[in-house]
Amino acid sequence: MTLSRRTTMQWMMAAAALPLARLAPEAGAAVGEGAPLPVVADWPGPVPPLPPTRGYGRDPTLMEPKVVWPLTLTPAQRASVDLLADMILPADDVSPGAAKLGIGAFVDEWISAPYPAQQTDRTLILGGLTWLDRQGEAQYRKPFAALDAKTRGGLLETLCTAAPTGAMAMPVRFMDRMRGLLVLGFYTLPEGKADMGYIGDQPTEGPYPGPSQEALAHLSALLATLKLTPA
Amino acid sequence: MTPGQETAPADVIIVGSGAAGGMAAYTLTKAGLRCLMLEAGRDYDPQAEVNMLAPESDAPLRGSGTPDKPFGYFDATVDGGWEVTGEPYTSAPGSDFKWWRPRMLGGRTNHWGRHVPRWGAYDFKPFSRDGLGVDWPISYDDVAPFYDRVEKMIGVNGGPIGLENHPDSPAECLMPPPKPRIPEMLIKATAESMGIPVRAAHTAVLTRDMPDPVAPRAACYNASPCTRGCTIGAMFQTTTSFLPQAKATGKLTVQTDAMVSRVLTDKAGRATGVEYVDRKTGMRHEVKAKAVVLAAGTGETTRLLLNSGTPGRGLANSSGELGRNLTDSTGASFTAYIPGLAGRPRYNEDGIGGQHIYIPFWLYEQQKRGELDFARGYHFEVWGRFGVPSSNVLPRVWGADLKKAVRQASGATIGMALRGEMIPNKDTYCEIDPGVKDRFGIPVLRFAFRFSQHEINQVAHGRKTAHAIFTRMGGRILDDPTLPPEKIMAAGGEIIHELGTARMGADKRSSVVDGYGQAWDVDNLALMDGAIFASGAHKNPTLTILALALRSSERLAARFKSGAFA
Repeated sequence: MTLSRRTTMQWMMAAAALPLARLAPEAGAAVGEGAPLPVVADWPGPVPPLPPTRGYGRDPTLMEPKVVWPLTLTPAQRASVDLLADMILPADDVSPGAAKLGIGAFVDEWISAPYPAQQTDRTLILGGLTWLDRQGEAQYRKPFAALDAKTRGGLLETLCTAAPTGAMAMPVRFMDRMRGLLVLGFYTLPEGKADMGYIGDQPTEGPYPGPSQEALAHLSALLATLKLTPA
Repeated sequence: MTPGQETAPADVIIVGSGAAGGMAAYTLTKAGLRCLMLEAGRDYDPQAEVNMLAPESDAPLRGSGTPDKPFGYFDATVDGGWEVTGEPYTSAPGSDFKWWRPRMLGGRTNHWGRHVPRWGAYDFKPFSRDGLGVDWPISYDDVAPFYDRVEKMIGVNGGPIGLENHPDSPAECLMPPPKPRIPEMLIKATAESMGIPVRAAHTAVLTRDMPDPVAPRAACYNASPCTRGCTIGAMFQTTTSFLPQAKATGKLTVQTDAMVSRVLTDKAGRATGVEYVDRKTGMRHEVKAKAVVLAAGTGETTRLLLNSGTPGRGLANSSGELGRNLTDSTGASFTAYIPGLAGRPRYNEDGIGGQHIYIPFWLYEQQKRGELDFARGYHFEVWGRFGVPSSNVLPRVWGADLKKAVRQASGATIGMALRGEMIPNKDTYCEIDPGVKDRFGIPVLRFAFRFSQHEINQVAHGRKTAHAIFTRMGGRILDDPTLPPEKIMAAGGEIIHELGTARMGADKRSSVVDGYGQAWDVDNLALMDGAIFASGAHKNPTLTILALALRSSERLAARFKSGAFA
């Protein structure tokens, strides 16, 4: 089979299978580097198992897609996810915040799905939500949601460190995965695609028009920089 | 099935409804023969079932692949996949083989990759060139006229290749290829500066309308992923072309949910029909015909021959080659983040779905001079589009910075997927598992699989090449260059190009079928799928499967006409 969806899926799966150092964003690209935490809360123990449920099976009705498993976040967990969603992908002059677009529900759908990859994420996400509260209590005697915005932001900043060690390894891994899930949930929505300036999904009759003049001019400049001749 | 037909034996039973079965049904019914097609999977109508334009956000998990739908929620494959409930297969100790089994009318053509390169002269005579494997009993010149016809029948777009062992199509065979996208133009400029050719891919997607009184097909409208299936018929799949066309002759009966368990034979050793299990009821049925065509896919065709005839030996296996010589294409993926593409101007990059250009194998001369440490070739299929950037190209930031980073990174990742030839080896085969049966009581296949050093060295060479191209364009390589090549290769079967387990040859001692796919041991049994391939080539096999099935079907029809089955 030719490179297409399968390959991109494989790349995604391969990325997910890589050890932390490679799964993580490029170290050189990391700009978040908060001060080390004075005290680091313990990573919580195992999360309760997912209640028995089923996936959509091998032959779902594709014309009527629907999520068949129940959502499992508690109201408090869901509130934490929404809070994080709006911090990590906040409203700006281009698009609304992630919570307003319902990305919290998407995270709930994801971690409640009875598939192996999603269940691995469930352990990480639920553990991370608990850890945030524990860390708030340890440092400020308050759960995460009760902290002021600046303090919460400072805590997230420490979770963007490029080379986490010891007790910070799991919290940073949680933050990486939460960021990845929110990006997936947000930018696959029509609002997210519009935010990226995505143009497509439009049936266009006749031959494929190809790149715009502006896109071609950009490529010409790039080729000149790279000392390459247009082919 | 309408009453009465069941008692009137067909001229030909066709097992399978994918590329080969569809071509057989189309060709044989046009020749006036009455055909009964048995498909193990369920009935399937793309017009009613393909959700062509729904956004991924309509699907559970944003359409991500799961064990239920490995290639994504909207992928056309229904009721099948790497696993089929109650229908296991096994792997020999130390082997890891994956077997993709659609269980649907039209088989793999409903979601296939659509890359249809012609094979060349070397691909049919590999032993003559390097002393490995075997030659085919037929040559490129035997197949070329059928390639010409198949390209016109299924609709292929593409351009000239003009390279050694890459024969060009006559001008009238191809529809015009789509313009390349910006990342593809960057790949072309970069690769060609390094002496690596880049060409318009040959793709089974219409870029012009294809009128037909029964199954008209429209030119691609440049949107939506082809693997969902195509309600306008732009992508070739048998469910929108050969099958409705064959049905319109009034000569084709299609029975779905019919899992063929064995080929029936008489005392003289001729095929009299097949036995199948109704997958819905579990009931066994016998159906008769004057000839039997097996087009169930390489694995299933081999399995049902091994389960027929003499216990422990199978049918059509006097050579002992049945089940041996299994190959798949090699596969490995390489990706890079290209800073020069970050934040590039937006435009519609959907195009005809998959790649518009690709990198054919270009090192035959070096190979002949002994400068490569592997035999046979590989090619690269390429990828690079606007979309949601993956986590490994985003910085560890949050808030407004993250939103900016996503906008910058969208469309700045390029991928190259290697597909290479595997040479048959004695450790790679399939056989009947002595201890395991499926839910119908049919013994299942057990696979043994191993790559040789040729394939491992080939993938190492491909990685070096891909990384050199990425580096030349200023890219940051995202895959791990320190992993041994064995660790980055797709598992056997994963590329879904399994071939060779009932190979053709020049004599009955060393092969299962002749150059037309006719079983040496059973005069009225023809095999038409990938099982008959004598070697794999690195080029995707479906165009060749279709060409050989057309050639074989016309031979079978001619034999009917000459009274061979009277």
